[in-house]
Amino acid sequence: MLPLMLSLCWLGLGMLIGALANAAKLRPAAWARRGWMVVLGIGALVALLGGWLGAALLGLTFAWPTAVWCAVLGVALLPRLIAWWGARRRAYRRPRPI
Amino acid sequence: MRVGQRAKPGRVVARVILALLFCLGCFLSLVPLGRAVMRSSLLLPALLSASSPAPLKLIGDPVRYTSRTLSTPNGPVYLDIYEPATPAPPIPGGREAIINVVGVGYYRHDPQLINLSESFAREGIVVVNIGTPAMFEFKISAQDAQAVVRTFELMEHWPGVNPRHIGLLVICAGITPASLAAADPRIRDRVAFIAVLAGYFDVAELLRNLGTRSQVINGHVQPWHADSTPLYTLARTVSDLLTPTESRLIEGAFPLGKYNPPLTRQQQARLSPAAAAFYHLLEGDEPGSVDRNLAALSPQMKALLVRLSPKSVIGQIRAPIYLLHERNDTIVPFSQSLEFAGALERLHHPYTLAGYGIFSHVTVESNLGLAQWLSDGPKLFMAITRVVQAGS
Repeated sequence: MLPLMLSLCWLGLGMLIGALANAAKLRPAAWARRGWMVVLGIGALVALLGGWLGAALLGLTFAWPTAVWCAVLGVALLPRLIAWWGARRRAYRRPRPI
Repeated sequence: MRVGQRAKPGRVVARVILALLFCLGCFLSLVPLGRAVMRSSLLLPALLSASSPAPLKLIGDPVRYTSRTLSTPNGPVYLDIYEPATPAPPIPGGREAIINVVGVGYYRHDPQLINLSESFAREGIVVVNIGTPAMFEFKISAQDAQAVVRTFELMEHWPGVNPRHIGLLVICAGITPASLAAADPRIRDRVAFIAVLAGYFDVAELLRNLGTRSQVINGHVQPWHADSTPLYTLARTVSDLLTPTESRLIEGAFPLGKYNPPLTRQQQARLSPAAAAFYHLLEGDEPGSVDRNLAALSPQMKALLVRLSPKSVIGQIRAPIYLLHERNDTIVPFSQSLEFAGALERLHHPYTLAGYGIFSHVTVESNLGLAQWLSDGPKLFMAITRVVQAGS
């Protein structure tokens, strides 16, 4: 019961941080449609992973602050990384002039 | 953002909040001081409200309680162990353990003591409450130091405990066994800290406080009202050095929880000069003759007073000492902690001293005013942070 409750709490926390990231316009310009949902999802997922990582390495008490800083880092870096990676893939697939 | 385009205030605020959350999260989880602050933030409400608040129950570890009895040459030692039920996390490498030397009149089922122990255990700290027959019988015993040393050695090998992160939390008369143990060559270099709540420094000086019903604060003599507990405890502690008749008379004169009428002249006449001097010091009926009465104590009594005083071993203690004391304490006068702090200062020994109004001796006062919370809360927060920093 407790793991499920903690997971839900961290998912909620991550979504809040994702919402803040949307308000801070941290998502790439290319993600015009539904990009905000992706940022929310990234925040939730990274907070969940950070929470369990913090619980495993530091103990349950410190899982919360770990979830927070991981989520902030996630919403700040991952969208840019994903966008950069997508652009790089598109550039690679584009036919080159002979 | 294009050149010339102004950042919207909402966007800036959101970015600042995210930056602050990131810094706070890193500080509270990655920096040892931050982890101690995180723990204190959760423990402070638990200690002030004398019950575990919901956040601590949700965030903290589940608690496992075990009871154990150690055999020592001085008799059994009863241990109540509260520890997190989860395995110790790899960072910072083993749990902190706090050996709680509760002192005389130790009541194992006291709700505030259980709350204190469980709250620390929820925060990942192993707490051991020590009880000995002498403590249960309101007798201060130097021999109980063996119980503390044995418990310390047990904790050094306790699963999940980091042997370098074991400290002593001392309550009132627990200071005698705790200070003697902290000065014991077997463990003195490994004690992480000693946190003392309402402890005394010099039992002879405590008798002087009782004899004059006064204390000296910053050079000023102030009247001091003594509770019946120190009278009862000292009467029982010294009774082994008295004849059965003297012991019965003096213990009868100072019961626990009430004030009996003074001994009659006929009863006083049955006391030896040393016992009579001791009686008058406890009764406080000869404030002008305190020096004479102290001098009239038997050599055995004087030796006992020295043996029970942390003053006699202060130079051999290595661990930092954190003194906490209620300013209006009626069981041990605040001046004892001031004297303790003064001696530590002269020795250049690491220490802190904080005076409180938030406790009644060692129990949390109910119906505290906001001013009291604001004034004493930060001091208590700092004290808890120091205690939990050893293992954070």
